Amino acid sequence: MKFAIRAGRVQGFLFTSAWWGWVYLGERVPGVVYCSMGKRIAGGGAGVVRGPGPGHGQGSGDGGALFARGHLLQLAGLSAKELRAILGRARVFAGHDADGSDDPKAWRERLRGKVVANLFFEDSTRTRVSFAVAAERLGAQVINLTSVGSSISKGETVADTALNVAAMGVDGIVMRHKSSGAPHLVVRTLAERAHSYDDAGRVCSVINAGDGRHEHPTQGLLDIYTIAERFDRLDGFDLSGLTVGIVGDIASSRVARSGIVGLGALGAKVVCIGPPTLVPRSIEAMGCTTTHDLDGVIGKLDAVNVLRIQFERHDGGGGGGEKMPGASNAVASVREYYEVYGLNSARLAKLRPGAIVMHPGPINRGVEMSSEAADSGQSMVLRQVRHGVAVRMAVLEMCLNASAQGR
Amino acid sequence: MPTHTKAAAHTTPTPDADIFTLHGGAGVPARLSRGGAGVPARLFHTTPTQPADILITGAHVIDPASKLNKHADIAIRHGTIAAIGKKLPRTPGVHVIDATGCYATPGLIDPHVHLREPGNERAETIATGTRAGVAGGFTTLCCMPNTTPCLDNDVMMRSVLDRARQTGACRVYPVGAATRGRKGEELAEIELMHRAGACAFSDDGDCVSSAAMMQRVLATVATTGKAFMQHCQDHQLSNAGVMHAGTLSTKLGLAGWPRAAEEIIIDRDLRLNAAINCRYHVQHLSSGGSIPIIRAARKAALPATAEATPHHLLLTCDNIDTSGYDTRYKMNPPLREQSDIDAIKHAIADGTITVLATDHAPHTHESKLLPFDAATFGIVGLETALALYIQALIADGVVNWPRLIDMLTLQPARLCNLDHLGLGQLTVGGPADVTIIDPNEQWTITDADLVGQSKNTPFLGRKVVGRAITTIVAGQIKMNRRPLVPA
Repeated sequence: MKFAIRAGRVQGFLFTSAWWGWVYLGERVPGVVYCSMGKRIAGGGAGVVRGPGPGHGQGSGDGGALFARGHLLQLAGLSAKELRAILGRARVFAGHDADGSDDPKAWRERLRGKVVANLFFEDSTRTRVSFAVAAERLGAQVINLTSVGSSISKGETVADTALNVAAMGVDGIVMRHKSSGAPHLVVRTLAERAHSYDDAGRVCSVINAGDGRHEHPTQGLLDIYTIAERFDRLDGFDLSGLTVGIVGDIASSRVARSGIVGLGALGAKVVCIGPPTLVPRSIEAMGCTTTHDLDGVIGKLDAVNVLRIQFERHDGGGGGGEKMPGASNAVASVREYYEVYGLNSARLAKLRPGAIVMHPGPINRGVEMSSEAADSGQSMVLRQVRHGVAVRMAVLEMCLNASAQGR
Repeated sequence: MPTHTKAAAHTTPTPDADIFTLHGGAGVPARLSRGGAGVPARLFHTTPTQPADILITGAHVIDPASKLNKHADIAIRHGTIAAIGKKLPRTPGVHVIDATGCYATPGLIDPHVHLREPGNERAETIATGTRAGVAGGFTTLCCMPNTTPCLDNDVMMRSVLDRARQTGACRVYPVGAATRGRKGEELAEIELMHRAGACAFSDDGDCVSSAAMMQRVLATVATTGKAFMQHCQDHQLSNAGVMHAGTLSTKLGLAGWPRAAEEIIIDRDLRLNAAINCRYHVQHLSSGGSIPIIRAARKAALPATAEATPHHLLLTCDNIDTSGYDTRYKMNPPLREQSDIDAIKHAIADGTITVLATDHAPHTHESKLLPFDAATFGIVGLETALALYIQALIADGVVNWPRLIDMLTLQPARLCNLDHLGLGQLTVGGPADVTIIDPNEQWTITDADLVGQSKNTPFLGRKVVGRAITTIVAGQIKMNRRPLVPA
């Protein structure tokens, strides 16, 4: 059984699941401290309720179950209810809540005394700074670790680095890694070894800031938030009736995968657009449609999320042409790509009135998008960045509070 | 008996090693306690001794070569089978194994294992790998040449054979590399390795990529009369693939290894081989689409065979998703879909696939403790294969016991040219390699059951039925889970 406790009062309950230990069934209320209660109740003081530590071999493929334990590794597996709980909390931090009852001056107390480690095994500008700003606004301290200047360059594995950082007693790990599933490995390893570095066997929060080509859940959430804000769906975050196009390198994109899952769960239609080498048909199994005809669908889109071609994740093509660094065997040339899939002024004009243009950054102007499109009035690029901080505040607060309960 | 136990305790530091002690005489528990920590199970016999005379009584004997399938006793003397028949006499001093309720079969033969020695002894050695083999009922292992250095010449061949004679718990026959360094660029010394005792040829771990080189390999191996075993993988197509290419690889953001990369190679090789007629064998078949190609070749009486593995019959790529990228599900070729499992079972039932292997691939813990794309490929299989095959094939009604035993004994013996040595069959006067199987023993696969050096298998925790309880190699009891009754 699980209980949500506010001032000692039981707010909701959960059932155990044989597979994952816990599955949350109750309504998640922002600001409420969620605890799990196992067979063993330690301490006995008010609110000191602990569940059994995670056992060996437990799966970590279920986003919802992971989230209940204080980890956000993927949007896949999160219910619409859970997504809305995060987005609803982000709305408060973005200053968009209806009554403004939550005092911004108190935000710095939310995570005061907590330490968040930014482990970035792969380059980042926006996400790393955004998480740092979010953590600081909640009163947490942030430690930054990058591959350069750490033992990662001495051959330490990602699992060992995370174990060491966790052993120092940090409350949350925000990590980015080039390998899909790296944060899942970290969560599994931290759980298996918890008792060797924490007397209580607690596992700190792990938040995925992008793993290979898998997911980038906070980017997915901030994209959703941006669409919801523009189309006045902040009450309830119901996106039904909206069609979102994701254009470009879907195959390499963790932003696309989080977007497809999250937008779909909240009722939006998603269509992935790009050349067949970058838009695999198999992506449709995630709940979207695909097309190779941007001009054919652009007039039907309410939002178009344009992605960078991730040349660094492609095999090098045979030279020639005006290819970007690294080259690609998936795109014949930048010239051809821009002509067929680039968001230029002509295509901008074909968008519905009120439709918005998004890009997760970094933008390669003149490859996937013209400067006119990037800087146009329809461009939400900087609002996305702004909302990113609010979303990450919500995620940090919810995850760190959940993991602090010692599960 | 007490002195024996004491001596074993001196030389064997771990409980695992202790299970190599022969137990016999009165007072030995009929069933070994398993799972109780600190209670050593004594199953194995390592001390090289004179082959003891053994009488196996009450067994249901299955010998596919002679089509024997009935209750009989088996008498073993001086390392060979002395008699098979009803109510054989108990000579004084003979070890009697009461095998009532059990099958007695030719010793199991695995045509596809990785013993990792030389080069990666932290993952497995010939000593530990063969110990895992006899624990699983195997009396003969054919080891692949992807060692460091590569097993691509006669000197290496002899060195592995010598090492196996010194340290092996069962018979070991090496498979020689087909190309130098398994690089697919130059022919290896196939003829010299053949003369030195290679049982077959393969670049396993890598496919012979060039069609031109493949043609030369097939032509050269054909002159030896032995088989060429192909690791069927078009490397350009599979590229960086780490799991089955499909909706799940897309969802998980992992590079895909498509079925076609296997099928293309089989098709190519069989076309090349049509004019050469080398014995051609498909290793670890994973794709349902490969089966019609092999079926057609066999219908045309071409010398083509194929092997299945337990993991490709029991697991799918869904496991990677539900386990959250658990690297123990990372195999090469990758786990595929239920439709492939169904097709492979069908191919086993109709005789298109005739050989069962393990592709026993030990890996160190740390090489699996990496992100999915960086972790090693492979699963250990020797200790668990028999029980898993029973689960996949007998419990499901795909084959009957004589067929199962045929695919684990006589067929791999023929594939690896070991039938000429009398292996894979029970023949009076022939080598006494016998496996006794209790088809009803229920057990759960645990760490303690994996007696090899590595534990990389996602089958831990699985409940299975059926187990090898005694393994006899050349008349020596190498593993025994039951008491021996003095005559």
